[in-house]
Amino acid sequence: MSTPLKARISVPRSKDLEVNGVKYNRSSSRRNNFEMFAWLFMRLSGVVLLVLVFVHLYVNLLVEEGGVHAIDFGFVGGKWANPFWQVWDLLLLWLAMLHGTNGLRVIIDDYAEKDRTRFWLKVFLFVTSAFVILLGTLVIFTFEPCPVGADPALLASFCTAG
Amino acid sequence: MQVHKYDVVIMGAGGAGMRAAIEAGQRSRTAVLTKLYPTRSHTGAAQGGMCAALANVEEDNWEWHTFDTIKGGDYLVDQDAAEVMAKEAIDAVLDLEKMGLPFNRTPEGKIDQRRFGGHTRDHGKAPVRRACYAADRTGHMILQTLYQTCIKHNVEFFNEFYVLDLIMTEVDGQRRVAGVVSYDLATGELHVFQAKSVIFASGGAGKVFKTTSNAHTLTGDGMAIAFRNGLPLEDMEFIQFHPTGLAGLGILVSEAARGEGGILRNADGERFMERYAPTIKDLAPRDIVARSMANEVREGRGAGPNKDYVLLDLTHLEPAHIDAKLPDITEFARTYLGVEPYTEPVPVFPTCHYAMGGIPTNIKAEVLQDNDTVVPGLYAAGEVACVSVHGSNRLGTNSLLDINVFGKRAGIYAAEYAQRAEFVPVPDSALDSTVALLDNARNGTGTEKVAAIRKDLQDTMDLNVQVFRTAETLQTALDDIAALEARYANISIQDKGKRFNLDLLEAVELGFLLQLAKVMTVAALHREESRGGHFREDFPDRDDANFMKHSMVYLDPSSPTAGIRQETKPVIFTRYEPMERKY
Amino acid sequence: MSTAHTPDRPENGRNDDPQDRAPEHGHAPGQGQDERAGYKTDADSPAVDARDTASGAQDPAAANAEAEAPSRVELPEKQGSAGAIPQFDVTLQIRRYNPEVSDEVRWDEYKLTMYGTDRVLDALHKVKWEIDGSLSFRRSCAHGVCGSDAMRINGQNRLACKVLLKDLDLDKPITVEPIKGLPCEKDLIVDMEPFFQSYREIMPFLVAGGNEPTMERYQSPEDRARFDDTTKCILCAACTSSCPVFWTDGQYFGPAAIVNAHRFIFDSRDDAGDLRLEILNDKEGVWRCRTTFNCTEACPRGIQVTKAIAEVKNAILSRSM
Repeated sequence: MSTPLKARISVPRSKDLEVNGVKYNRSSSRRNNFEMFAWLFMRLSGVVLLVLVFVHLYVNLLVEEGGVHAIDFGFVGGKWANPFWQVWDLLLLWLAMLHGTNGLRVIIDDYAEKDRTRFWLKVFLFVTSAFVILLGTLVIFTFEPCPVGADPALLASFCTAG
Repeated sequence: MQVHKYDVVIMGAGGAGMRAAIEAGQRSRTAVLTKLYPTRSHTGAAQGGMCAALANVEEDNWEWHTFDTIKGGDYLVDQDAAEVMAKEAIDAVLDLEKMGLPFNRTPEGKIDQRRFGGHTRDHGKAPVRRACYAADRTGHMILQTLYQTCIKHNVEFFNEFYVLDLIMTEVDGQRRVAGVVSYDLATGELHVFQAKSVIFASGGAGKVFKTTSNAHTLTGDGMAIAFRNGLPLEDMEFIQFHPTGLAGLGILVSEAARGEGGILRNADGERFMERYAPTIKDLAPRDIVARSMANEVREGRGAGPNKDYVLLDLTHLEPAHIDAKLPDITEFARTYLGVEPYTEPVPVFPTCHYAMGGIPTNIKAEVLQDNDTVVPGLYAAGEVACVSVHGSNRLGTNSLLDINVFGKRAGIYAAEYAQRAEFVPVPDSALDSTVALLDNARNGTGTEKVAAIRKDLQDTMDLNVQVFRTAETLQTALDDIAALEARYANISIQDKGKRFNLDLLEAVELGFLLQLAKVMTVAALHREESRGGHFREDFPDRDDANFMKHSMVYLDPSSPTAGIRQETKPVIFTRYEPMERKY
Repeated sequence: MSTAHTPDRPENGRNDDPQDRAPEHGHAPGQGQDERAGYKTDADSPAVDARDTASGAQDPAAANAEAEAPSRVELPEKQGSAGAIPQFDVTLQIRRYNPEVSDEVRWDEYKLTMYGTDRVLDALHKVKWEIDGSLSFRRSCAHGVCGSDAMRINGQNRLACKVLLKDLDLDKPITVEPIKGLPCEKDLIVDMEPFFQSYREIMPFLVAGGNEPTMERYQSPEDRARFDDTTKCILCAACTSSCPVFWTDGQYFGPAAIVNAHRFIFDSRDDAGDLRLEILNDKEGVWRCRTTFNCTEACPRGIQVTKAIAEVKNAILSRSM
């Protein structure tokens, strides 16, 4: 039904009612599903992040004796030697960063009153987020706990143990 | 000053105005001038329903509806008009449904119908379910639906444009409509709307009275403008007073409250309707109940510190029953009076509800300049008009029907007229009287305040021209009004600006109110009988021999009665002979 | 009931000076029993007539209840002739702005004596009619059905005709401002055009395809109930102008437009739901709703606005998925 109707009724109708010039018309209409997916993403990523974060905290703080004091270079290195934790932390990084970035984008939309301010704040936001995401990803995948030829005094104990 | 040219110009965007706009807008270039945003119109306050003989739930036909309307109006109804309304009611309801109005439904999905006062099957044999309704906000849904349909058809609205004058010119010895003068509230500019046809749909004039269910903005602008332009007003003495308005506020408590078992009591706790109407007590017709209530108060049995109201007692009903059937009423009582209807009686007093009279029209909604000559290009519909389908007492739900049936007719006939007529030139002097009107109000340096005069006017009308009238009280009112008119000549207003100058407009509206109050009083003085909404204590009976006719009042400075000339117009009979109004 | 005296002075409720009222309807002459005969003749008339409105006129319960009603009851004392008119002082702070005179906004303070059931609108009227005629605000029906007088009262969006003064904290001044987010024109009057623009954009009218039936379109009571809540909207703009997202730049469609879209999207007779969902899937559409519930709280008609918005969101999602 919607196709023939669309031909008959122009949308948005405010364009064909010229009232006091154009100042009340919506700036530009963007008719795609981006905002919907962004909204959906926030809900879904939020749920997934709850699991990711709390398991992360549990494994890091409660499984081993000593809590936060037991976490050291060696502990992290050991975890990332396992592809399971590599993927886990990668997901954590991406979802948290995208969730947070989108949240800030929304806040900028809601609180910045001028399009220019919005634009530049968002540019800054996206650049920094991209930087953090890329850097984090790089670290997770290229992390080498026992680089060859490094000063043994700086290496973790398990590198020299064997 | 700006000049606009439209085929059809409609004054007012309530039910009748917008129903007309939907028809006219599809046929010709149409503008709607409204002093309020359209959805603020008082059509939205109607609650009960809209009658049409759909026969969805039980046997019914439009001829029975016609009879009920005529009898309800105490035989002062023009029977041809009543037939038109009852017959076209069915289409009016179906039109609204097709526009999207969310009527309540029967289990099979048809429009549901319920009973309503005075609507009967087979000429009074039993109550009939004839009122189509949308919960307890039928008027609200009608107003919204009509506005929505206007948007659909791209009707042009000029919001907050007050119409202040009608431009009429003599063409070939015939007075014809050239357009209207309008005041833009936002800028204070005057606009001339040149039009081939003009439709008046500006509603009633309830603010003549103090206690009224009408909105603050119902100041009878259309009626007064027509009157000032030499057109007659018909049956202005007939005002319907609804028995149960919240005391002091006038906010309507629907008759459903008594239908559900509510009891009226005086200060002694007595069910006083037992004395006035021993058989049906509180369920007596509107005018009888209203008069009985007023009589209790008059004889000192009113409740409250000023002994000026009676009580509507619902406390013997189950709270659940009240909640289910009367949600709105209980909410109004709680919000506005702080009264809890479960446990306390609600203070009520008759409230001015509806003006049966108005600008005389024929069944094509064409305005009459005397008993049978139409004004070419001028139309009126709704409460501002008097077709007359309500006679001396309007039947519940028939106002919503009136606006839809005659609004539609006005729209169609006005557009058709515009298609074959030429524009009438606007005379150079078109603005003169409006400019003078505004200047007088704006530049007045007197000492009188608009609000004070209006209050005194409303007080004297409530006191003297309400449910009980005698020659003496009416004369008192006339004298009071004359004194108020003298004071009105000596007003000053504080807001001298152009922007949203409501102070100025209230002064202009007061002028309309004063004029209409005088018209109502003079008409009431002339009608020496009691019929429907008009009750003369000095003439308590209906007098068909002398008064089975409409009253027509004209502005005539030479007339001895307050500059108003009184004439009459015969009632149109088709098939119903007048009988005593017994059910 | 919470406050003791409210029902006592209703006749004066709307007016300002109790002294001005004639205490009795004294002018009316000719009292006495014989006059009554005049209207007594009609009295054997119809149960029908008064059966009026009532959805439940046919309800036997009503008839029973009526039959049981006693002809005389003892009334609580205050409903009788006792009791004084409650009277109190209020301080009103009104935000004034008139670009014709000055671009400055100022706050004017008024001290008024008001009575029992007076509402904020009555106080505004008192200021306008007795103190400063230039104070401008919109109003019409004065009982909460026309939607003219939405304003910010003590920081909350309300209809001035529905807020009773006695329900407010009268020790502090009552602040009255125009609703936010719409351009202020003068005093409490704002430009409503952007608001109605959004309303018009969501196509607030029935679009029914197919051949038009001769009689009505059928709709089951359940289908009718589906959108009942959102048919109550009176377009007062209290919701939209309470929405923080709307305050930013006025580009968001706003709760009122969405509520009215909801009214048609969920109407079984309508065929343009998809189109409306598409419109509200806009960057400025439903996804800007942050579920702060300001709108629901502000609605004078008690519409579950935020819930309606959520239902539209769900409809867009399920249509896309």
